[in-house]
Amino acid sequence: MKKGFNLKIYAAVTFFVIAGLLATITVTTYTSRYNGFSPEKTAVAFVQSIVETGDGYNAYKNTIVSKNYKYGDFIREYYMYPVIYAECDYEIGDDRDGLKGYNDDSFKGEKTLNDDGTLSGQVIDTMYDYYAKLMKKYKGWDNYDGVFTDYFKELCKVREEVFGDKYMTDEIMFTALESNVRTYGESLTGTEDEFDANTGIQTSVKTVGAYQKAFGEDYKFTYEVTDTVILSTSNAPWGKINDNADMLETYKTSIDDMSELFYVVVEVKANGKTIATQTVNVVKIKSTWYVENTTIDTSALYEIA
Amino acid sequence: MSDKSMKKYMKKSEIATFGIGLFGVALLTGWMPDYTATFFADFAFKGKGFDPDVMANALSVVFLVAGIVGAVCELVIGYLVDNTRTKLGKVKPWIGFGVIPLALISMLVFVAPNTNNQTVAIAWMFIIYSLYTAFCCAVESPANCFGSLCSPNPSERSSAISIASFLRSVGQSGGMVVILVVGLVMKAIMGQQQFKNAEAQGLDLIISTAVCALGLILFVMIFFTNNKERVPFTQEKVSLKDAVKVVFTHKNLLMVSLTKLCGFGRGVYGTVSLYIAIYLLGSKDLKLGLLLPMGIGTAVGTLLVNIVLKKFSTKKTFILFCFYGASSLAILFLVSKGIGFNNGLIIPFLILNFFCGLQHGNTNVTPNIMIADCVDEIEYKTGKRQEGLAYAGYGLFSKIASAFTKALGPWLLYTWSGYLASTNANVAYAEQTDATLNKILMIYTIIPAIFVVLQAVPIFFYDMVGDKKEMITKELIKRREEKGLADNVSAEN
Repeated sequence: MKKGFNLKIYAAVTFFVIAGLLATITVTTYTSRYNGFSPEKTAVAFVQSIVETGDGYNAYKNTIVSKNYKYGDFIREYYMYPVIYAECDYEIGDDRDGLKGYNDDSFKGEKTLNDDGTLSGQVIDTMYDYYAKLMKKYKGWDNYDGVFTDYFKELCKVREEVFGDKYMTDEIMFTALESNVRTYGESLTGTEDEFDANTGIQTSVKTVGAYQKAFGEDYKFTYEVTDTVILSTSNAPWGKINDNADMLETYKTSIDDMSELFYVVVEVKANGKTIATQTVNVVKIKSTWYVENTTIDTSALYEIA
Repeated sequence: MSDKSMKKYMKKSEIATFGIGLFGVALLTGWMPDYTATFFADFAFKGKGFDPDVMANALSVVFLVAGIVGAVCELVIGYLVDNTRTKLGKVKPWIGFGVIPLALISMLVFVAPNTNNQTVAIAWMFIIYSLYTAFCCAVESPANCFGSLCSPNPSERSSAISIASFLRSVGQSGGMVVILVVGLVMKAIMGQQQFKNAEAQGLDLIISTAVCALGLILFVMIFFTNNKERVPFTQEKVSLKDAVKVVFTHKNLLMVSLTKLCGFGRGVYGTVSLYIAIYLLGSKDLKLGLLLPMGIGTAVGTLLVNIVLKKFSTKKTFILFCFYGASSLAILFLVSKGIGFNNGLIIPFLILNFFCGLQHGNTNVTPNIMIADCVDEIEYKTGKRQEGLAYAGYGLFSKIASAFTKALGPWLLYTWSGYLASTNANVAYAEQTDATLNKILMIYTIIPAIFVVLQAVPIFFYDMVGDKKEMITKELIKRREEKGLADNVSAEN
């Protein structure tokens, strides 16, 4: 080996230098893409979810509801299991082992056993009108408790009418709700013609959405943070959050976990023109920012079209 | 064979670290293509409002162009490797120094520019993935041909290649384990929902790529410091024209490369594996269940080939495994037809899938050993040693065969089988006729079986075995001794 070039030293130096570079690239990319490290990005992501696709349901993934819960698990525990185990004296948080809920195979009737998706589709289509009514009734998703409770109650009723049995699972509930949320969003954004990639057969027809009617076919939404204020604990919003301590408890968190509170103003523009201004309180828990949803009012965002 | 040709040159640790090096390379190169496609399609420009149809078409062209870049690079890198002469050897510098840009470029593939201009976004995808493909060739091709240089002893060389091929095939699936572990760690640190939010931005892919890239550096550096090229390179300069000519005119090398072209339809089963899971076994979740026994079978087959090679020549081993492979696929077809497409088929189907996987060990290992033997034959005939181009030629044929497979698979499924796509928004997969189901089963079994037999055909004309191979090995050792080159080759004992 040529003197002066030591393979082992080269290998060690290469490993540590590249490890450093990879770590730097990873941390930089992570910080720039992950919303949770910035109060402004967290607030914009929340507003964007509601405005862009009319999806206040998924916007909760940026809120304190999702601090200690997977959002889906929160919905299961508080709104689905009480319905599925309605005949079992089930209390929220109870162990479900040994309980015979409506998700038991014995509740499946003939139509459930033989459905190829057609009847399930009929249930989802019927539920859509009800979901749209709920959005009007509650002016969006701020009162998620009302939306979930009413929606799942109606879903059980509609499904029983269509299938003739009481069978119900969390999967059926999520499929129906999320399908309706998506369709509601499409009623705002419109849809394009769609073709099966393999066969070329048209699978859906182009529709014009409420946003397109209001802002033109090629409308474009943009979001701008116009103000960010740090609120000290003496400010009113802290007190309001504290008033909702019971709600925080359902999220397995409390005001003591929150180290900072920011008041962020997000301006929503359509084709460059301001169409709504949304204030969002975001709280810092450990190193991550969450939208404080217990006091928020987003009803204006559901009326921009 | 004489004592000299049977002499052991490699330390045991070298055989292990050769495999570790290939494991490291495969860890990254096995990870990149699929996850790059996912990243480009789903995460890189999320929320930018780009036209999805334009992006989907651009993605197809990006990977097509990258394939062409890769094919050209195979030959160029092969030529450059053969003209590399350093104290470290001809192949090792490419691997040991090439991994640095490869690791960094791989990482940059997952750092999308923050642009609202779709043209800029598409241009970036073209440039970054073509760059990755070029650097990947510059490391992967030389790494694959190191086996022919690790020992002048063909028997020792074959064992080293077998073990390294096994570790390489394990490494190719290593990325799946990395993303699993990264996901678990992220969940533990961030909580389930915040992990989901991060996953929605493709951040788990970025971290996993960093882990795979670091793994590449670590494992290749272990190889780089411990392994030595033990076959001296020849000093003659080779012109590009003569070099490329070798790929297409050297009979034995061409026959090995032609196995790829003749057997290109072996891989069409991948196109229908999802539909086999849905229609024949009853659940799309069983797709992983299908691939897992086959993957385990492949790993076991790789070790099995090494044992068979101790008793039979490479030619016999290759042909034997091809006929075994075709038979196992035919049995799978007959058993499936016999049981019928119902739940009772699941267990026999998965078990037989393992036995069908064994044959892939042969296609992973034996051609690599044959190419090493061809390099000896070329050196014997021309006096020039051209590992780089020999393996590059094989790589080129592999890439062409892969393109044919990607065209044939969808044609068989969507045109020939009469597959009906669902037009009901509420029904994911439409009912298929028995004739279509039967054809889907054939695409998984009988059609690959035909190509498995076809890939054996060129090997009937391959003759670098037996006395000829022994004579060439002895002659090369003698020539090196006469030139004093053997002094550079240190033996283990």
